[in-house]
Amino acid sequence: MKKLLLICLVLLLSGCVDKEILDDINIEVGVGYDLAEDPKDKYRGTILFQEFQPDKSVINRTFSGNGKLRQDLIIDVTRQSSEPVVTGGLKVAVFGPKISKLGIYDLIDSFQRDPSIGARVFVITSEDKAEDLLKGEYGTRGNSTYIYNLIQHNIEHRDIPKTNLHLAFRNYHERGRDMFLPRLKKIANDKVELIGISLFEKDKEVDILPLEDLFFFKLLVDKYSEGNFDVQLKKGDLAAIKSIKSTHKIKITDNHAAININIEGIVREYTGTKLTTAVVKDVEKKLEKKVERECLKLLKKFQELGVDPVGLGQIKKTQHRNFDYKKWEDDYKTLGFEVKCNVNIEETGIIE
Amino acid sequence: MKEQPIPERLQISPFLVFFMVMSIQIGIGVLGYQRIIAMDAGYDAWISILFAGGCIHVIIWMIYKICDTAGGDIVTAHKYIAGNFIGKALSAIFIGYFILFSLTVLRTFIEVIQVWMFPEINTFWFAFAFMALCVYIIFGGFRTVVGISFFGLVLPAYLILTFGWAIKFSNFYNLLPIWDHSIKELLTASYHMSLTFIGFESIIFFYPFIKEPKKSQKWAHLAVLTTTLIYTTLAIITFAYFSEEQLSKQIWASLTMWKIVEMPFVERFEYIGIANWNLIILPNVCISVWIVSRLIKRVFNIRQKVGVFFIVAVVLFMIIFLDTRDKINMLNDSVGKMGFIFTFIYIPLLFAAVMIAKKLKRGKKK
Repeated sequence: MKKLLLICLVLLLSGCVDKEILDDINIEVGVGYDLAEDPKDKYRGTILFQEFQPDKSVINRTFSGNGKLRQDLIIDVTRQSSEPVVTGGLKVAVFGPKISKLGIYDLIDSFQRDPSIGARVFVITSEDKAEDLLKGEYGTRGNSTYIYNLIQHNIEHRDIPKTNLHLAFRNYHERGRDMFLPRLKKIANDKVELIGISLFEKDKEVDILPLEDLFFFKLLVDKYSEGNFDVQLKKGDLAAIKSIKSTHKIKITDNHAAININIEGIVREYTGTKLTTAVVKDVEKKLEKKVERECLKLLKKFQELGVDPVGLGQIKKTQHRNFDYKKWEDDYKTLGFEVKCNVNIEETGIIE
Repeated sequence: MKEQPIPERLQISPFLVFFMVMSIQIGIGVLGYQRIIAMDAGYDAWISILFAGGCIHVIIWMIYKICDTAGGDIVTAHKYIAGNFIGKALSAIFIGYFILFSLTVLRTFIEVIQVWMFPEINTFWFAFAFMALCVYIIFGGFRTVVGISFFGLVLPAYLILTFGWAIKFSNFYNLLPIWDHSIKELLTASYHMSLTFIGFESIIFFYPFIKEPKKSQKWAHLAVLTTTLIYTTLAIITFAYFSEEQLSKQIWASLTMWKIVEMPFVERFEYIGIANWNLIILPNVCISVWIVSRLIKRVFNIRQKVGVFFIVAVVLFMIIFLDTRDKINMLNDSVGKMGFIFTFIYIPLLFAAVMIAKKLKRGKKK
């Protein structure tokens, strides 16, 4: 009786679902969206696959399709692809310039609804068409791995604030905070470069922060961050500072935001003759001044644009009971800022 | 009047109650309770979990008092207060409750499999195979059911660690300011924790099977305390991980949090997690089916094995008609409500009735 039951179970259960064998499917690793030329379709999407060759090299293969929905696109692409398309391995999603200006909410929704899409996908915007960006030949490990690693290490060690699909959507849905996405540009067929950060209001791109501002942007947005910055001293000497740890404290009273930034850094490079304690003090002072000035400029800029990537509204909410978001929208326009920075240079390298 | 005592070889050690209670409490509710309570009390809802957990300790104390006074399970208690016939009629109500309980757990879990992994899986055949396994376990006797609940809790316990990945992407300032909601909102959230918390009332049904039942009370309290703490911790991590409006869209917030898990050898952890969840669901269904079959035996004097087949047939028949999210959601809601009524209204009433009956009976003896 028991054995019979077991045999029955084995037979029944093994026939339950479809098999998906890794060699017989196309795993979507990158996807790009542009505005369709034909107004009847909404999007022109490009899907990137990586084909692993027996000699361990990777071939990038892209398919493009048109449609009103993300699924239309996958259907369109399935018609061209020799194997069924699955989305579980997606790593990078790119939005073209026109579509990000027009709004990307529909696509955000579809990304969140799909259970097979991970939360660590990088969502980025591109300077030129997303299709072109995905069609390059970057590195030897495939385009999507290349772009993924490019952003990953820039987040970990350089000036891009922490971001991924989950964080972008969290910021998008959070009241009193706006989304931002890193922005890439294809500069040659085998080269791609980070060129800044796209600022969003709701789901529409409103402005682009250039690279120079990213160090300060990251100080404001990210809690603990690494970043790099050059300081110009009096005699034309230059010092390259690497921040190893930074923290910020934001306190918002009725109509005033006080922002305290703490940076612990090291000197990486110095072009002058001798790096004395006095010079180090000078470097600290200069950097403090610079950070205060630039961060204030950024905050003013956000205020003018009416975006809030720092999340001041959300921060104010956590500090005040019975917070009224409607009132905040007006308050934000007249909010005053005060930025205080404290730099502490701890080491100057292995020579004196 | 006196019932036949359960022979000692069929009884379980008191500490095993800990595993019984925890494994039937943790089931499908934990997959998505965060959204439901956050709808009422926002990000203060973790307070509600602690409050609900506190209330359950009182109920557990009542359950032990009832069973101790009546000297047996709920059927004995019913007979104790209302006589043989009415007592049995009252007990028969819970047959329906636990059938619905097992149906809800099984169907909701199949829905999770269908939405997250295999949309084409057939509800009936999966339920059939799952139920066949349950029948096999229950035929092994109560001690086998307890064994399964032990493994159903210990083996998947590692899953709690996987939520650690989310902490790196969390913002715990989300929880501030604490106590930004009214008492009423907090209480509503506590009420909506019902579906997630229920299951502990099963003690009142298997009480006679515990060796030295008085010693087991502390284990029951410990079990409830542990579940409360797990739920609270998980809720706090969830609240920090999602923004409030984003959470309101997540039907299974706990599963969505697995999307952030990254391991060198696993691309999508949800597949492993949900497959493991099978082990958590198994004791839920087994214990509730066992309870129903026991009730059928006690009330109608039908052999337990026959009862089991009857329940399985009913569950498999009803599961065919539950095919959309709306229906499943409705079932979840109503079982949550029934659980609330049973645990927080009926048990205190029963407690009062048993206490009064005890007074009266003692009066008569004198």
